[in-house]
Amino acid sequence: MSSHLPILLFLAPFFMGVSMPILTSKKPALSPNITLATVSIMVVLAILNLRVVLLEGPIEYAFGGWTAPLGIAWVNDSIAAIVVLTISVVSLLSVIYGRVVVTSELAKNTPHYALILIMMSGLVGLIFAADLFNIFVFLEVAALTGYALVGASGGKSLVYALRYLLLGTLGATLYLLGVSYLYVATGTLNMADLADRLPDLITSTAVAAGLIFIFLGLSIKMALIPLHSWLPDAYVSAPSSVAPLLASTVTKVALVAWVRIEYMLIGPNVDVSRVPVLVLLEELGVIAALIGGALALIQTDLKRMFAYGGVSHIGLILIGVSLGNDIGFAGGMFYLINDAVMQAGLFMIAGVVLYYHNVSTLDELKGLGHIASPWLTVTLIVVAIGMVGLPPTGGFFGKWNIILGALEAQHYIAAFAVVASTLLTFGYFLKVFAKWFHHPQSVEANSIAIEPGLRVSLGAISFLIVALGFMSDSVIQSLLASLNNGGL
Amino acid sequence: MTELFQTLVQRPNFVVFVILFLWGIYIMAAHPNFVKKLIGLYIVQTSAIFFLVAFSAKNGATVPIIIEGVAADPSLYVNPLPHALTVTAIVVQVATLGVSLALVSAIYRRFGTLDEDEVMGQLKNE
Repeated sequence: MSSHLPILLFLAPFFMGVSMPILTSKKPALSPNITLATVSIMVVLAILNLRVVLLEGPIEYAFGGWTAPLGIAWVNDSIAAIVVLTISVVSLLSVIYGRVVVTSELAKNTPHYALILIMMSGLVGLIFAADLFNIFVFLEVAALTGYALVGASGGKSLVYALRYLLLGTLGATLYLLGVSYLYVATGTLNMADLADRLPDLITSTAVAAGLIFIFLGLSIKMALIPLHSWLPDAYVSAPSSVAPLLASTVTKVALVAWVRIEYMLIGPNVDVSRVPVLVLLEELGVIAALIGGALALIQTDLKRMFAYGGVSHIGLILIGVSLGNDIGFAGGMFYLINDAVMQAGLFMIAGVVLYYHNVSTLDELKGLGHIASPWLTVTLIVVAIGMVGLPPTGGFFGKWNIILGALEAQHYIAAFAVVASTLLTFGYFLKVFAKWFHHPQSVEANSIAIEPGLRVSLGAISFLIVALGFMSDSVIQSLLASLNNGGL
Repeated sequence: MTELFQTLVQRPNFVVFVILFLWGIYIMAAHPNFVKKLIGLYIVQTSAIFFLVAFSAKNGATVPIIIEGVAADPSLYVNPLPHALTVTAIVVQVATLGVSLALVSAIYRRFGTLDEDEVMGQLKNE
């Protein structure tokens, strides 16, 4: 039973998502509850799965008993288990939050909830997949539902959803092309098998072109600067109820897929025609971290600012995983987990502010600290500390390990970029707080109480950000265990 | 130069793939009409699928079914895997087609036009 946990994690949301229209045909009001129940089951399964992986080491799940390379395999190692648990917990909180903040039109919309569940199943598949073509299929399952969710509220979000679709599908096609190139060169799609055959072929132009296509395709999906242009528009116009879910999961999971490919196929000392590949990726991360932070600093719209903050953090994570040493890699992956939680928190705050106070820009935020619920203010402060990266939050330990890794590799530009992006993050949160605690002209001391569901999700996000800081050592150790035990 | 020309002439399939791919991207970038952008996108997707089919083609080979009593010789059979990939990629393409056309028709109902510049103009005035 325990060996089938990965497939159960995939099937639970998939089955419920597909059968949602039948189950709720008589009572559409049931669909939020079914979604909540399914995601709770996923959290339980993910915890059990993590326990099994930590006790028994990485497991390869072979579909139908056909082992790789003949059959299709999923790798259930500690990185996959931890990321799946993070994604499930964040989605559970986003669903609890989404039940309150949802517009009355979407609340009764059964397909909307079915889409959320099917997207979850696509993300789970994407995290476990150990086969290049499998990644393509799950990438598209997650992306297609994502396009539909962005466009769900109608109006101008339709235009941005279509733009997201045009770019995202182009990315998926580039990825498919890259996979075909690698297949032509090696004759296999399984990642472990590819890792065996690639080192002799890495100088071939077909392999280099294939890897470039794969990276281009995935960097559109993970919104790496300069291919990020779809992200801010899409997340700003997406319905408030699903924005935290989209912002915290889709780009991070695409990055996890790239990390797997990068770690398996591109070793630390690989260079294609005298260009060291990992250093190149790291410099792309540096550019994304700095430009993303600078773009966030000049935004006037709250959600847009947070979206650019997420773009700059993708760069930070890419720096960490491309340093070529264990400590940087663990720091990058740990930061990815933190970033998923923090992005969810940021978009929840922006959503609650919009829902209760009808505020979406920085200027309208003036003096809100005096009337907003204390739950909101405390969460904003905790998330800001996490985003800037001060102890004891998880964000600090992620950045700290990335910097240690950069110093160990003697890549001082990378270390500088992490510090500089920290300062930029501090800059734009300073702008938020300057408005938030601005003394209002007319004092009305009554703070608006927020719904219990929102208190639960905001409180849990703040708790998780601090808890991840205290658990950082054990999480990083188990992430590293997966590298040393031949996982990934 | 002659060598390059020779390689190109020997591989007409791949030349067609490159032409289709670039043509599709050009249509996506150059036309302001949403439906034409989608047509460009489908040409790009089709070119990738065409590439999958092109490299798996084999002269004089047959379907990969092993008959009992006859020695199985790999050189007589077509590799079935790229074709399985092709079918899956086509399914993904059809699903994308459905979602994108739904979005485009919703945009047309909302804005009354399919021209990207006009839609963006309307969005700015809101």
